Amino acid sequence: MKSQADFPATLTQTYGPVSAIDLALYAAASGDHNALHLDEQVASEVGFEKPVVHGMLNMAFVARMLSSHFGVRAITHLHTRFTGIALRGQTLQFQAKLEQVIDQVAYYQLSVTNETGASVIEGLAHIKRLT
Amino acid sequence: MIDPKHIGYRTTPTVLAVDSWRVKLFCKAIGENDPVYWDIDTAQSAGLPACPVPPTYLKAIEGDHCTSADLLQVLGIPVKGVLHAEQSFTYFSQVYVGDVVEISREIVDIYEKKSGAYNFVVVDSHFKVKDKVAATNKQVILIRNKVAA
Repeated sequence: MKSQADFPATLTQTYGPVSAIDLALYAAASGDHNALHLDEQVASEVGFEKPVVHGMLNMAFVARMLSSHFGVRAITHLHTRFTGIALRGQTLQFQAKLEQVIDQVAYYQLSVTNETGASVIEGLAHIKRLT
Repeated sequence: MIDPKHIGYRTTPTVLAVDSWRVKLFCKAIGENDPVYWDIDTAQSAGLPACPVPPTYLKAIEGDHCTSADLLQVLGIPVKGVLHAEQSFTYFSQVYVGDVVEISREIVDIYEKKSGAYNFVVVDSHFKVKDKVAATNKQVILIRNKVAA
């Protein structure tokens, strides 16, 4: 069906390993300076063996995968649940899977997993056709 | 339990200009290599009036208005033990470099789960450009009380 042609069944991307510099840069650019993302001591005090990747950095990677393919203005809605944790040093897998197309809007199911296979993000994106 | 009296707490709106250097830094931080976000010629060749901002960039300038850590301070909650549980964005019009954005945030819900072991705070943000809502977002903050204690 022609109307489906602009909307691929799946998009995938790999990113990583997420480095200390990646996390420091994101802290500076985003203004989120929570030490949980930067300091091993602080991370271990709250039960994580390494600093935790900002949820918003993972969401930014998901958004980048979508905007690279569809154009930034095509994204009308993004929703992510931070279902698990990605730790510094891990390599992450990103996927968007087409669920349906209704009235020229594609609904993509989003997922991010870390290298242990555990879910980090589950979500949904609405992509409109740019005219 | 967090006092539900804070539901309805609103920040006073502030205005912020979208700076080119900050967008470029944000792109560097998220591995975005497309010059459309910082090179005006590339943007105009793509039929855009100016350089657009990446979709989640609004969360960064939201922090210049009022960070979630600032909001937690209003609630009297230490940032330790706090996790970001959910985030959504709804876009009505594209925000560009050079736009002046009016930002406000509101605590719209507070609830608990697992017999009070977990508290949740829901915060909505509004982003207006030229008096029109360009985007909204919703953040769900999880407070793990055992860790915070």
